[in-house]
Amino acid sequence: MLFIAPVIQTIILGYVVRTDITNIPIGIINLSSSLESHRLLNRLASSALFKIKLVSSSPVNAEEIFRRGKCKALIIFRDKFQSPPEGNNFFAGWPEIQVLLDGTDANSAMIAAGYFYGLLGHYLETKIRHSGQEILLQPKTIIRFNPSLRSIHTMGPAIVALLLTIITLLLTGIGLVREKEQQTLDTLLVSKLTPLEIFLGKTLPMATIALIEMTLGIIVVRLVFGVRPRGNLAFLYLAAVVFLFSLLSIGFLISLLSQTQQQALFFCWFTMLLFLMLSGLLTPLENIPAAFRWLTAINPLRYLIAIIREIFLKGNNLAYFYQDILIMAGLGFVAFLFSLSVFRRSVIK
Amino acid sequence: MERLKAVIVKEFIHIRRDPRSLVIIFALPLVMIFIFGHVLSFDLKKIETLIIDLDRSPLSRDLITRFAAAPLYKIYSLENQGHAEKRAAAAQDYLQSAERWLRQGKIKQYLIIPRDFSRRLAANFPSPVAVVIDGADANVATRLYQYNERIFKSFFFPTKSIEMPFEVKIKMFFNPEIASTPFIIPGLVAALMLMISALLTSLSLAREKETGSIELLFISPLRSPDIILGKTIPYLLVALIVGLVIFLFSHFFFGLQVHGSPLVLFLTAVIYILTGLSLGILISTVAPTQKVAMLVALLGTILPSIFLSGFIFPLESLSPALRAFSYLVPATYFLRILRSLTLKGASLRHFLFEASVLLAISLFLLALAIRKFSTLRRASA
Repeated sequence: MLFIAPVIQTIILGYVVRTDITNIPIGIINLSSSLESHRLLNRLASSALFKIKLVSSSPVNAEEIFRRGKCKALIIFRDKFQSPPEGNNFFAGWPEIQVLLDGTDANSAMIAAGYFYGLLGHYLETKIRHSGQEILLQPKTIIRFNPSLRSIHTMGPAIVALLLTIITLLLTGIGLVREKEQQTLDTLLVSKLTPLEIFLGKTLPMATIALIEMTLGIIVVRLVFGVRPRGNLAFLYLAAVVFLFSLLSIGFLISLLSQTQQQALFFCWFTMLLFLMLSGLLTPLENIPAAFRWLTAINPLRYLIAIIREIFLKGNNLAYFYQDILIMAGLGFVAFLFSLSVFRRSVIK
Repeated sequence: MERLKAVIVKEFIHIRRDPRSLVIIFALPLVMIFIFGHVLSFDLKKIETLIIDLDRSPLSRDLITRFAAAPLYKIYSLENQGHAEKRAAAAQDYLQSAERWLRQGKIKQYLIIPRDFSRRLAANFPSPVAVVIDGADANVATRLYQYNERIFKSFFFPTKSIEMPFEVKIKMFFNPEIASTPFIIPGLVAALMLMISALLTSLSLAREKETGSIELLFISPLRSPDIILGKTIPYLLVALIVGLVIFLFSHFFFGLQVHGSPLVLFLTAVIYILTGLSLGILISTVAPTQKVAMLVALLGTILPSIFLSGFIFPLESLSPALRAFSYLVPATYFLRILRSLTLKGASLRHFLFEASVLLAISLFLLALAIRKFSTLRRASA
């Protein structure tokens, strides 16, 4: 269970994040009889980015269509009333274009609009070239580190880190609580073991399991999704050990502060979501309001994910991310000292 | 009925005796909504962009101004100065630093405007501009690329002899400011409500198994449905109150508005919470210990509700197999209802289907839990 669950989840989540946004359902309302609108329509139909759910040659009620959730965008071609300005007959006969977007999912809607702009621009460029004119400004874009822009390369290894977090945090989080509930904690406390020994005894097995799980996860993303690291994996294990130290200290702290397993469950859930949502994995971290920025600064998962990206995609070596490792170690140390002091106090009681 | 009532009353006593847990159950989701509501946003702003201008002409500065005017970028520009030989050496330096900063993540992209940029354009001769983007975050890189292209196009069309012939007009329905908060908050509420309700019931029977008190339940005259329902219904009230508090909180802090009927929202929310509770009670019946129950409940709710419900990743883009899988995730349905209600103001007939599916899932999970419990009971007898 402990080993199979992460493998299955890595595979499923890998497929989820591998899917870049495509197949956006759109509708085309063609009120123009021009050749250009017809050609553009064909272009849209042959693109994998869009899935045309509706083609109409008469006006429709856009709001009702969006309300039913059938399309996320509507593209309308309409004949122009005015003839084009003097001396500019290149675009004579072009329809007027209007794009209506369902703002419910603003993110997808803007991506759809972006795709449409791209398609239109490409079409225009071909037209201009065909007419024998030259396009003057020619941007040449190079994508570094992930040239195919596949999001599995961005997300795949990070998902391994995520699963690692969930499992280790929970298992250490309930570690001592179970003993509290079953009244075996007192036996542990009156024993000659020092708090440090108890901490190590409770967390070392977890750390071992976690490292094995991480190895499994890396093998899975490699075999199933073909994501291979550019950098040295030894650095990743170093980072993972430091990360686990901070995570296990936090888990130990949770288990000291909770009285029942249910409380530990809720604390773990809270911590996991906080780490996940503030990790930069799901949303960009750049525009987090300043008042909340410190929350990302104390999130060990954020540093691990940054390091994973540097090792897997950029092939960076330790010199680039040793600071991140030091910060994680510092965070772990603070949590560790705090949990030890809480532990000592409960021993005195 | 009498027996069911007895179990419910007993469960309420349990809840009341543990006020600390109750405080945790109420406080944590609120803290989360407060933080995530402020922090989660898909908008890109102030992306560090370095422009190496080797041309230093009015035309190249015009291009830089166009980039600087867009809120998406935070522009740093390097200009070449001095004599010709010095300039060539400096250009090499600039490139090396740009590469290093890109690798360190200090900048997300850099542009190079070549030396003869304006001369070539003035002579009606094409000129390249190099753009190097950090692709480590594929999503950000894609959007940067698209946005760059738009700026380049706005630049080249007006300088050509041909005017841009038409304007593409964009109109955004339901969310004219294109903010991602109205999109994210309903998703957050839906995901949190499912997790809370499933976590609430996931330990109940597993705990009794650990302490051995489940044997007492087995030999009691209570029928299995009474026990399962009696352990579920009290939490319906707890989860509903938590849900209501979350909702009011999102309303006051993040402007979440209900455009449809509040009654419809309430009814669908009750069904949805029941689905989460049923999932929890089923996990609790099957799991041998609390530890296993927790692992299953967390892995089974956090990841699907976030990744497979349409909360972050649009469902249309999923492969058919995963799409089918997403129909098993309760959050998928409630998310659709909640987004429609808060952004579009749809009425009940628009999501009769979603509500019935949720109800069907809850009844199925409950029936499964009751059956499993009866089997356990027979096995122990």
